[in-house]
Amino acid sequence: MSSGSGTMVRNLLLLSAVGLSGAAATYFVEGPARFWANWLVWMVFGIAVGLGCLFIVALEHQVQSVWSVPLRRVPERLSSLALWVTPLVVAALLCLPVLYPWARPEGASVPAVVLKSAWLNTPFFIIRTLACVALWFLAYRLVVKRSFEQDRSRDPMITVRLRRYAPLVLAIFALTLTTVAFDWISSLEPVWYSDIFGVYLFAGTFLSGLAATTLGTLYLYNRGRLPGITKDHLYNLGGFLFAFTVFWGYIAFAQYMLMWYGDMPEEVFWFKQRTTGGWLALSLILGIGHFFVPFLALVSRKAKTNPKRLRWVSLWVLAFMLIDLYWLIFPAVGAKVRLGWPELSFALLFLPLGLLAARAAMAKGEDTPVGDPFLQEGLEFRL
Amino acid sequence: MPEAPFGVLALYPTAQALLDAIPGIKARGFSSLEAYTPFPVHGMEAALGLKKSRLGTLVFIMAVLGAVSGFLFEWWTSAVDYPLVIGGKPFNSWQAFVPVMFEVTVLFATFTAGLAMLFLFNKLPFFGSPILGSKAIRGTTKDRFGLLIMPEAGVLDVEAASAALLETGGSEVEVLAAPDSTPPGLGWWLKTLSGITAACVVTGFGTAWAIKIYPTLPPMVHMEVQPRLDAQKADSFFADGHGMQLPPVGTVARGYMPLLAKSPEEAGKELINPLPVTPAVLQAGRDLFNNHCAVCHDRLGTGKPWLTSAYTAKPADLQASTYREAPDGYIYYVIAAGKGAMPSYAADLSANDRWAIVDYVRALQRSQHAEPEDVQ
Repeated sequence: MSSGSGTMVRNLLLLSAVGLSGAAATYFVEGPARFWANWLVWMVFGIAVGLGCLFIVALEHQVQSVWSVPLRRVPERLSSLALWVTPLVVAALLCLPVLYPWARPEGASVPAVVLKSAWLNTPFFIIRTLACVALWFLAYRLVVKRSFEQDRSRDPMITVRLRRYAPLVLAIFALTLTTVAFDWISSLEPVWYSDIFGVYLFAGTFLSGLAATTLGTLYLYNRGRLPGITKDHLYNLGGFLFAFTVFWGYIAFAQYMLMWYGDMPEEVFWFKQRTTGGWLALSLILGIGHFFVPFLALVSRKAKTNPKRLRWVSLWVLAFMLIDLYWLIFPAVGAKVRLGWPELSFALLFLPLGLLAARAAMAKGEDTPVGDPFLQEGLEFRL
Repeated sequence: MPEAPFGVLALYPTAQALLDAIPGIKARGFSSLEAYTPFPVHGMEAALGLKKSRLGTLVFIMAVLGAVSGFLFEWWTSAVDYPLVIGGKPFNSWQAFVPVMFEVTVLFATFTAGLAMLFLFNKLPFFGSPILGSKAIRGTTKDRFGLLIMPEAGVLDVEAASAALLETGGSEVEVLAAPDSTPPGLGWWLKTLSGITAACVVTGFGTAWAIKIYPTLPPMVHMEVQPRLDAQKADSFFADGHGMQLPPVGTVARGYMPLLAKSPEEAGKELINPLPVTPAVLQAGRDLFNNHCAVCHDRLGTGKPWLTSAYTAKPADLQASTYREAPDGYIYYVIAAGKGAMPSYAADLSANDRWAIVDYVRALQRSQHAEPEDVQ
């Protein structure tokens, strides 16, 4: 490691320490609710990026796609973020009585919540959370870990085995991500119902995974560490980002329109909160920024192969995933749009740590899965 | 000057052989190329050097136009021309317009893509490409990969092109003659139009003739055909030839008691409330009263209505002494026949419904004018 990168690591850690003190101050000055709400935003963001990458890996094995084989190492490496984030998930169990009305005696006695109490109770919540964490480690083991072994052993049977486990990992992904969506976000408002909510978080998760994969790929591509990768490969990443931007818009609007039309009190209050006062402005920003901007930025064919365009769109998509989570979580705990020093402190705390984790992950194994028998065929992919 | 041929075509054994041949052919100075393959070949677009199609731009413009016209159409129909309250939503509800906008956007985009591709970019209609008459067509739809060298600026050196194809590994070279581009003459139009007319006449008369011989056969008759007298139909069963007979004089329909009294006072004297005052009757009376009467007479019958700020008539105050002292039959008659601005409720409320309402009105009156013994 050169001294330059050593300085960078130290500076990032320093920033993170500043953020940590700000976060601690939040707990005592602003109260635990604001502390845990911020914590939740960054925790789910980490899960989204990590599991999104894991999903891309499993998807590739499941559909036996060949073009993506030379790029697979990037999502494989970044999927370890889902494991790095698990301590945050376990620590967040402390926030149940602070943020979740159903975990408090007076909140649990609301009739609509009593109906859901078989699912929404503290012991079962803890069991589910721990089960999700265990399943993520299992999924990583099944579909990622052996791929690194293949770098050395060059055993083609490993590819066969990875493909065999892919459906199981996809099932784990669907199950745990839906649980995260319902448990950690949706149940902040235990009265609220939305069947589509798991799909909504999935759209954001897949987009985050794609954006992180694109950024990682461009990082290596710009340094010449991905020889043989052409604009045709980048085009497919851009196409995926474009397609799932539309998917997110479709799901987000479908959820909104049905609730707006039905106007059922137990559903519509959730959107009423988010379309009054400052939240209305944020909702509009979210609709424009999460859908229209990436849509128009990527609609032309040339844009999907342009590394500069792909880089800023990916960063933009990740930023809007954060704003999306803020929009999902904060109205449930505070009445007004609040963006102050506590939010800044949390960004300072987790962004450098996330970058360091991604940096450490990006150093693992070869830059391409050199042992995969489909590598050559994947490199030859042309549009 | 003889007309240039459509092009010179050769077959290659594999997709890779075709891809590899293209640079050599380009190096020999031929750049107007077209490939015919049984399936889309990755990398072919770049190898042929096809220019970016303008179709995408056109589709995008039309899609935006579709979204805008979809919105304007929805807005004009729902908010301007024929505003209807639907589910209590504002007339101009963009949320409800989005699905239609989306569909119109897709409609405009796909129609533009399909029609522009056919008519603007591929210059249809023309009657068959020469490639369809070539020997190579059998191979290029199955397992061979064809490459066509086309003339540039109307000129093509057939010799050199054939040589270039053969030298780069092509075989079965054939020269395709240019399609006949003379516009169809009068004879062609006569033949085409008379052919279409003949087809119409034959199918039309043929159908008419077939229906004559094989009249419409209902697939399932089941209960449709049965020996019964249909309403409004002639029938020979009765002497007067009508399927429908008048009821005998004085017949009363089941469950319907005609109102014989001519005024509320007369009804008050003659009619006796047949319903006992039980909780079930009062409950039914309350529901009916709240559904039909309360909107004008108020839930307590005070005649202070909810909806009549713009309504000039004054509903009766059922708590007034006139109505407290009026007999049951009086109120029953007013419900059935109406009074002043109040219409008849005979069609909405059966005799029993009306009597239940009368009982409930009595209960309301007593609730507002309780006697000392009521509260003991």
